[in-house]
Amino acid sequence: MDEIKLIELAKAGDRKALTELVIQHEQTIYNFSYKLCRDRQKAENIMQESFFSMVKSLHQFDGNSKLSTWLYRIVANHCLMLAKKEKHRYFASIDDDESLFDEKYIADWKRLPDKVTENNELKNILDNAIQKLSPEYRMIFLLRDVEGLSTEETAKVTELSVPAVKSRLHRARAFLRKEITEAFK
Amino acid sequence: MTTDDYIPVQGQSVTCKDVMHHICESLGEDLNSERCAAIKSHLDKCDGCQNYFKTVEITIEYYRKYNFELPPDVHERLMSFLRLEE
Repeated sequence: MDEIKLIELAKAGDRKALTELVIQHEQTIYNFSYKLCRDRQKAENIMQESFFSMVKSLHQFDGNSKLSTWLYRIVANHCLMLAKKEKHRYFASIDDDESLFDEKYIADWKRLPDKVTENNELKNILDNAIQKLSPEYRMIFLLRDVEGLSTEETAKVTELSVPAVKSRLHRARAFLRKEITEAFK
Repeated sequence: MTTDDYIPVQGQSVTCKDVMHHICESLGEDLNSERCAAIKSHLDKCDGCQNYFKTVEITIEYYRKYNFELPPDVHERLMSFLRLEE
């Protein structure tokens, strides 16, 4: 059954259709939540709260965007709320950091590993680097580059302008690249 | 080449720093503007920028391939939390 039909049925109170919708999206949402917070327990909590919000407000879903885009927005809101509670955490300040583009970061990456999945050292480096980014930057990088949303969809999910998304995206990319370069020096 | 080196292309001067900014901004975007043509031309001639371009792509690729599987117990707790039955 296609998603539009499932949404219609779920809105009308069909629990089986609702279950199917959750099952269709749970892997994506868990993966995205985990990538955002890099913590299993937090990822599970964010996923549960996000689906709970979806179930509560599915009747408001107008179908103008994909359900997944709508879900990303719910996850993003939950993640930002969680980040506000963790004010003590330090994030790198990259708004005006021109050093991200310095020549010294033009390094040779030939000796870097190809495969992420089998390399725990690289995984740690990737985890550490992305956790230094503030949630606002992290979210844009993940939505646009990792989840593959368009710039316009990313702007919609994050409620930012397209130029603001582009600006944050290019700084996030440069920052992560710089961090990986430094870690492998 | 340093970030202060200029390569005049199609009447525009482009530095490595410009290229790095622009590459980051425009990966996955339309690159048909005059500015982009100048940048692409610079890129063809500059090893440093080519390397930078590749490494930004690798960075993105690393994060794309680094995924987290939903564990069965997490799925079960979600169903229970939402009071849904399979």
